Amino acid sequence: MLSGKSMSQYYFFPFVRLTVLSFCLFTATAFAESSEFMPVVPDYKLTFPRDYGAHQDFRIEWWYVTGWLETEDKKPLGFQVTFFRYATGHNQDNPSRFAAKYLIIAHLALSDPAVGKLMHIERTAREGFNLAYAKEGNTDVRLNDWTFVREEDGHYQVDMQANDFGLQLSLTPTQMIMLQDQNGFSRKGPKSEQASYYYSEPHLSVTGTVFRHNKPVTVSGRAWLDHEWSTAYLDSDADGWDWVGANLDDGSALMAFQIRHKNGGKVWAYAALRDASGNISFFNPEQVEFTPTRTWRSPHTDAIYPVAMHIRTGETEWQLMPLLDDQELDSRQSAGAVYWEGAVTLTRDNKPAGRGYLELTGYFKPLAL
Amino acid sequence: MLELCNINKAYAEGRKVLTNLTYTLKAGEYVAIMGDSGVGKSTLLNLIAGLDTPDSGEVRINGVAISALDDDAATQLRREQFGFVFQAFHVLPHLTLRQNIALPLLLNEASLDRVEQMLAEVGLHDRGHHFPRQLSGGELQRVAIARALVHRPKLVLADEPTGNLDPDTAREILQLMRKEIKSNGATGILVTHSHAAAATADIVLNLTKDGLHPARSELS
Amino acid sequence: MNSISLFRWLLFGEWRAHMVQLIVVLIAIAVGVAMGFSIHLINTAAFNEFSAASKSLSGQSDLQVRGRKAFFGESLYPMLAGHEGVALANPVLELDVVALGKQQNRNDHKLKIIGIDMFRAAEISPDLLGLPEEGKTLDRLASDTIFLSPAAMEWLQVKQGDSLPLQVGLQTVTLRVAGGLVRARAGQRLAAMDIGAAQWRFQQLGLLSRIELKLKDGVNHAAFKARLTEELGESYWVSETTDQETRIANMSRAYRVNLNMLALVALFTGTFLVFSTQALSVIRRRQQFALLRVLGFTRQQLLRQIITEGVILGVIGSMLGLMLGYAVAAMAIQFLGGDLGSMFFPGVKPSIYFNPLAALTFFWVGLSVTMLGSLVPAFEAVRARPALALRSGSEELAMAKLSAPWFAVICLSFALLFTQLPPIFELPIFGYLAIALLLIGGIALMPRFAGWVFSALFVKLHHRIGAVFTLVLTRLANAPNQAAIALGGILASFSLMVAMAIMVTSFRISVDGWLERVLPADLYVRVTATGDQGGFQPDEQKVISELPHFDRVDFFRTQPLTLEADRPEITLIARPIDQTDPRNTLPMTDDMIAPALLSEGIMPVWVSEAMVDLYGYRVGEKVTLPIGATSSEFLVAGVWRDYGRQFGAVQMQLADYQALTGDSSVNTLALWLQPGITLEEAIANLRQLPFGAALEISRSSDMRALSLEIFDRSFAVTYILEIVAVVIGLLGVAASFSAQTLARAKEFGMLRHIGVMRWQILAILAAEGSLLTTLGVMLGFGLGWGISLILVFIVNPQSFHWTMQLHLPWGWLMVIAAVMLVSATLTALLAGRQAVSGHVIRAVREDW
Repeated sequence: MLSGKSMSQYYFFPFVRLTVLSFCLFTATAFAESSEFMPVVPDYKLTFPRDYGAHQDFRIEWWYVTGWLETEDKKPLGFQVTFFRYATGHNQDNPSRFAAKYLIIAHLALSDPAVGKLMHIERTAREGFNLAYAKEGNTDVRLNDWTFVREEDGHYQVDMQANDFGLQLSLTPTQMIMLQDQNGFSRKGPKSEQASYYYSEPHLSVTGTVFRHNKPVTVSGRAWLDHEWSTAYLDSDADGWDWVGANLDDGSALMAFQIRHKNGGKVWAYAALRDASGNISFFNPEQVEFTPTRTWRSPHTDAIYPVAMHIRTGETEWQLMPLLDDQELDSRQSAGAVYWEGAVTLTRDNKPAGRGYLELTGYFKPLAL
Repeated sequence: MLELCNINKAYAEGRKVLTNLTYTLKAGEYVAIMGDSGVGKSTLLNLIAGLDTPDSGEVRINGVAISALDDDAATQLRREQFGFVFQAFHVLPHLTLRQNIALPLLLNEASLDRVEQMLAEVGLHDRGHHFPRQLSGGELQRVAIARALVHRPKLVLADEPTGNLDPDTAREILQLMRKEIKSNGATGILVTHSHAAAATADIVLNLTKDGLHPARSELS
Repeated sequence: MNSISLFRWLLFGEWRAHMVQLIVVLIAIAVGVAMGFSIHLINTAAFNEFSAASKSLSGQSDLQVRGRKAFFGESLYPMLAGHEGVALANPVLELDVVALGKQQNRNDHKLKIIGIDMFRAAEISPDLLGLPEEGKTLDRLASDTIFLSPAAMEWLQVKQGDSLPLQVGLQTVTLRVAGGLVRARAGQRLAAMDIGAAQWRFQQLGLLSRIELKLKDGVNHAAFKARLTEELGESYWVSETTDQETRIANMSRAYRVNLNMLALVALFTGTFLVFSTQALSVIRRRQQFALLRVLGFTRQQLLRQIITEGVILGVIGSMLGLMLGYAVAAMAIQFLGGDLGSMFFPGVKPSIYFNPLAALTFFWVGLSVTMLGSLVPAFEAVRARPALALRSGSEELAMAKLSAPWFAVICLSFALLFTQLPPIFELPIFGYLAIALLLIGGIALMPRFAGWVFSALFVKLHHRIGAVFTLVLTRLANAPNQAAIALGGILASFSLMVAMAIMVTSFRISVDGWLERVLPADLYVRVTATGDQGGFQPDEQKVISELPHFDRVDFFRTQPLTLEADRPEITLIARPIDQTDPRNTLPMTDDMIAPALLSEGIMPVWVSEAMVDLYGYRVGEKVTLPIGATSSEFLVAGVWRDYGRQFGAVQMQLADYQALTGDSSVNTLALWLQPGITLEEAIANLRQLPFGAALEISRSSDMRALSLEIFDRSFAVTYILEIVAVVIGLLGVAASFSAQTLARAKEFGMLRHIGVMRWQILAILAAEGSLLTTLGVMLGFGLGWGISLILVFIVNPQSFHWTMQLHLPWGWLMVIAAVMLVSATLTALLAGRQAVSGHVIRAVREDW
């Protein structure tokens, strides 16, 4: 059985986003080939629309949308849509159209308090035959009949349907894109190569339809998009990862993460807060602090997650409360990882501030047998 | 012709049946042996026929001790010199009457000429091709008598030959048997319970624990 | 009187008195049931395993799309994947690849490799996902890895991490064994690897074997299948999983049915034995039953007595039979494999599955036969007038009723009629029925025949024979029914043996002659085709044809071709054929058109007999075959005999094939040596070629020997069945002779009284035994010959679609006849030895 602890040292950044990969067990031998990929360097200047598209020269890349929706009868729903492109590092010289050079992995999760737990589904395919691809030039990702496309005018169209649930959403930007850290060069650890290119699009306005048991429900809401690509890997002392991205009611956007050290404490941390007018405050590792305020023990895996979290960014105190406790994702059968990814509400200095998504990884401990 | 000398015979379980039995039968005599059930009449017949051996003593036929012969020799002796008539007839069902009667001749590799004569003598001259199942009991016993005498045996042993027959038929059969034994010059031993049957013999003997003794003549 | 205890007294009294016969009856029932049941078990086990193994390869798909040829272009895949209604399209490339070092093992040298896209296969055939070493998940996608089933690992002597060299055409490809296919079935030799890697490493770029489809919920499978079939046109087959099962079932059906029929025939022989033993036992007690009737038994009581006795015997015997059958099947599978050594289900390690329904069926067959054996004479005994039945000699009358000649005549007439009827579901059902009827009729006619023959013999001989022979002949002539019952088992088993011997000999001689015709060259050189490529490319063909040692080199291109979705593939053979007289090249039947009549405009093909039976091809007709890019029309120019491929084969000119397909590769070369060159020299020379190591070189003499060896092996089981049938037959002789000896105790007793020697009694028994056997052997020969005609001219063509010439193995038949005669005589003697024991003499005093 795969344990979060033993695997984590090999994970790419960030944890969760890789744990959904079917090929989560990247060993040192896999990295030996990483020289054929491009490194992430500080002085790269992101250019758009080119950088909306895929980056074949990097090992791993994802588009990650999380958000809060509301049905017509004012019931809240959380959703998470992810598309990964992953270079296997194999088969570069195989002329077959089936050669598995790149994989496309997609993940769809829906948090519905009425259901009481997370509904999720994931798929993987090799790129090829126009059935699965991540195109360059603009965001255009496909996995069989699941698509995530950025149109010329900046709209995103998401269409993902599975047997018993799915969604068709249109995401409209209401703000500028948000380049994280040093103009999109985002450090993940004490070493400079432990980094990714990373931009976010907060405050995407969402309209569309959610399908539950094949019944369509009209929804609207707010979402957050992350697009990140990288080649290098995480620090070997890392144990897990806490991340939050939140659209605040006043139009500002908060993103914070910490990478926890195996011995407690943190390997790295980062936060950025952009106000409605576009002014960004960045916080260095020392200024960012995550403190659990309530834990929840998963009845499925016995893992204990800090589902309610206190975060300090500089002088500001944030409190995160989950939409529902059971937003655990157990993908051991396919992806091999267990983590928590859930819709949360935020208070800022004890006043309601907004809504976002919290990601907690590395908390699953194998059951003692 | 037949000498029984000091014959002792016990059943396997030890019960003595014959003790110190001694008797001599002259050639041409026709004797009837009577006696209570279990006194050893059948055992005596078996001993005479060489089908059983006495515990002690000897059965001599024309001076030959039959109990000293091995099975083949005893069989050979029976084949040539004995004729049998059984209570249950024992006629081979799948042989015709003619074939049944011919059996002893065949065994002795003798000419079959006498078969038709015997058939006629027992009154079945036109039925030689019949099978036994087509015959009545009396008729079957006629066949048996014909078979017993066809090869001119020296000794004819008849064990209750009329036990299965009605009195009229029985009388007929006994007359026939006596006639055939006499006309063929054979010696005859008739074992029977019936006084009427015994009466057809020259001599009636009673078999008791003490031996064979002439019965008080009960001529009617 | 308590009727239960009376019943028990009668029953146990009878059994105690006739323990041997009781045991014989039980053995007869048990052996009969065991034979049928064990063969059924073995067959089902092998077939289920084979079918499950095949199914595990094709997974849980709703539909499968295949090409008419083994491979088709991959462009169909995205088209189907994006097709409306399709939830998932799973592309598969299936290859049989030669394992290096196993080439010389001709029938067992290929490893089945399934190329899959694991992400798609995961949803349809998850069993094909390999289990890599921990931390090496990407091995599942790598181009140099392969995953092997446990059986394949064992066979190839490799383990995780080892290198596995495989032969592709004339090259060697080495893959790394990255892990196991842990869910493969026991004994299933199987490998899986990435489809992209398989296309590349095995030179099958752009090709697929099949695409498996999972349809979206709510899509009507039949309608979708029809629509897709129409859309794809005639180059593709769309089939459902059930079609697949039919196809697999069709592959081995004839073999299985034939084996089952043999088992039934054995059961039938056993049946006859059970019937006769049981009937004899009832008839022997006719007088007893008559007495019981006289004493006041009602008919019902008597009938109940006899029937209950039969039921008890039937139940015990059948139970024993089931156990014995199970044990035999388990042992056979353990030691011979599921196909009983015939290689019909290769690479399969079946385990016995106990099917209660089948067990119940065989149980019922055993019980019913025993019941029938009791019932028929029981009814007769019950109906008989007691007074008559009390008489000795009435048994014969009773038995005469059981063997009415009209019954035999009806059986034989129907047998004759059935030989004229066509097969049902491509199985020679009527042929088998005719065999059964011929046997039943022959046996039923036996008493008449015996009576007639022995009477005639007696009439002719009676002046010259002694008492013993008079007794023997009169008895045999006048009591033919009792004699015939003893004979039934011998007759049945001997005629079956004769039939099988004639059939197998005819087949073997025909195959031998055929091998001579189809393997005229001195050497055959093959490179196993991998996928769509014949192993020899034009360059290599040139190199070999230019070698100095050969007079003549013929090239063969062989490949499988699917003509109908639910039928196994046929074989297409393209080679140079002497068009002026194809008989110089092919083992033609007489069915061919004169070469002069072949027109220039249309390409000729020569088809095997199976094509005529299965696809209705007729000489002179035009047929369409999917050869080349589109289907083309061909003229059926003749029919040839093929003992190698029962599913059909078509031969055509190599030049025509190459013109149609542009495929210039070939698989096989036939080489004729120049005078003065030895085979060894030639082989050594071939081996020295750059690709010499990859060649599979066979001498035609070795191939012939090997073929015949396989032939013999596949008939081994029939020999075993024959022997069992003979043993059952002898058991029947033993049973009926010992029964009759007892019944004839008084007869023998009287004979002993009137001076028949001990040895003469034995002589009577021996003479009866041998005379009966002689007659049985003669009649059995006639019957067996008739059955062999049905086997050779009806059963074989109808089930395997090949014809053969009749050959009689006289020497062998004589030997069997002699063995049969001696063993039956000895059996009769042994069984009858009580007839000379002491108590027989006393039996004259018993009245029954």
